[in-house]
Amino acid sequence: MILALFTVCDVRAEEIVVIVNLAAATISKEQIADLYLGRSDAWTPIDQAVGSEIYVEFYKKVTGRDSAQVKAIWSRILFTGRGIPPKQLRDSEAVKKAVAANPKAVGYIEKSAVDASIKVAVSID
Amino acid sequence: MVFKVTPAIAAAMLALGTAMAHADATNDTIEKSVTFSGFGTLGVVHSDYGNADFVGNVIQPRGAGFSSWSASPDSDLGGQANFTLTDALSGVVQVLSRQDANGQFRPTVEWANLQYEMTPDFKVRLGRMLLPTYEHSDTQNVGYTLPWVRIPIEIAYTDAGLHSDGVDVLYRVKTGGVTQDLQIQLGRTAVDLPGVEFTSTPAAVVVFSDTLQYGDTSLRLVYQKYDGSGYPEVRLQVSGVGLTYDPGAWFVMGDSNYSQDKYFGDLFAWYVSGGVRLGRLAPYAIYSTTRAQNVGTSGLKSLGNDHTVAAGARWDFAKNLDTKLQLQRVVLDSVNDTASFADVGPGARVGDKTNVLSWTLDFVF
Repeated sequence: MILALFTVCDVRAEEIVVIVNLAAATISKEQIADLYLGRSDAWTPIDQAVGSEIYVEFYKKVTGRDSAQVKAIWSRILFTGRGIPPKQLRDSEAVKKAVAANPKAVGYIEKSAVDASIKVAVSID
Repeated sequence: MVFKVTPAIAAAMLALGTAMAHADATNDTIEKSVTFSGFGTLGVVHSDYGNADFVGNVIQPRGAGFSSWSASPDSDLGGQANFTLTDALSGVVQVLSRQDANGQFRPTVEWANLQYEMTPDFKVRLGRMLLPTYEHSDTQNVGYTLPWVRIPIEIAYTDAGLHSDGVDVLYRVKTGGVTQDLQIQLGRTAVDLPGVEFTSTPAAVVVFSDTLQYGDTSLRLVYQKYDGSGYPEVRLQVSGVGLTYDPGAWFVMGDSNYSQDKYFGDLFAWYVSGGVRLGRLAPYAIYSTTRAQNVGTSGLKSLGNDHTVAAGARWDFAKNLDTKLQLQRVVLDSVNDTASFADVGPGARVGDKTNVLSWTLDFVF
């Protein structure tokens, strides 16, 4: 039973990592926050599905904002014609594929999903 | 309101038309190159003051007052299409229906421009854009983007932040941790002047704005100048400074502008606001005011003067939806075209107090 509890804790605390293309330079945590809040166009951010566990966790930890606040921020950018919100992909597999295919792309996935097709830029804890 | 097709808009429309024709080729292409979105607000306002109409923005001729309930100050509906033509070239068209200067909800084109991206930090836009005169002026119709029911009206008194047809240059500079968004805009626009009925006086407009972002702190500086012949002659200059600190869990912000016009004199408007975010609920408070600084050649005294204390809350109760409730008290410090009201009647007196209750439902899709 104690083992089972630990397992549960492990799942809940699964680390999120920010990934970039193998050919890309590294990116800082501050740059990541700017990127996902539409304050920077230097990279192409890739998103997970809105409202998914990893999406909510990522925005909370990196930007300090919840889904509604993030939506309001991007609505401001969208409805002033300044940009379009990050493309949302179905799951971490799809995010990995998109990042592996584009040297400008940045994504975030569970640490356990990391493989050799991409590299980890930052760990979000 | 007549939609005039200017050369810039015509060029933008033509290019977008071409893109759409191209996009028709396959469904795949449409998905990649065109995205549709929209927004809207459903609102009702109650005012307990019968001598004037409380309005949602300065161009509206009617609101809540003479008839104590009104849906017209805040209700609106907008639709937008974004076009991606190449990696560097994109376009946007936004159509809005909201009570206009004629008291109608006739749809108008608020945004229609082509954007060319020289580098990710250097963009040029050609066509129609909303003016960035004050904080949130370019998304004033998108209730979902605002922490309150509406922008404090006093800040918009000299300048409704209408659209301009012309060219716009956006340049982003990063210096250490500070990101600066510089904007220069040259165009033609219709100007709303205080103290007179909405006249749509055409004028040339020049805008310089600089937004400095350092983490969650942002400082906005703007200078805007209008020149137009006609009566009254438009020689209006607006200088604005705004500061926002928004770390996520709470926010404080202030915005101000000083406007100078020979005919109407100088006006100073400002507000401060703060709020906290308790999960999905975000209560807030606002103090806003406008004060005439002198008398222009028109001879109108205390033009626009009023002050407002407001308290309210935003509740993000579902995905892409919020609802807000706001209670405010407006004090008339002048009966010369008081900022928060249209159609100030002969029974209105300086010092009169108005209680206004507003409820809205905002959505984006």
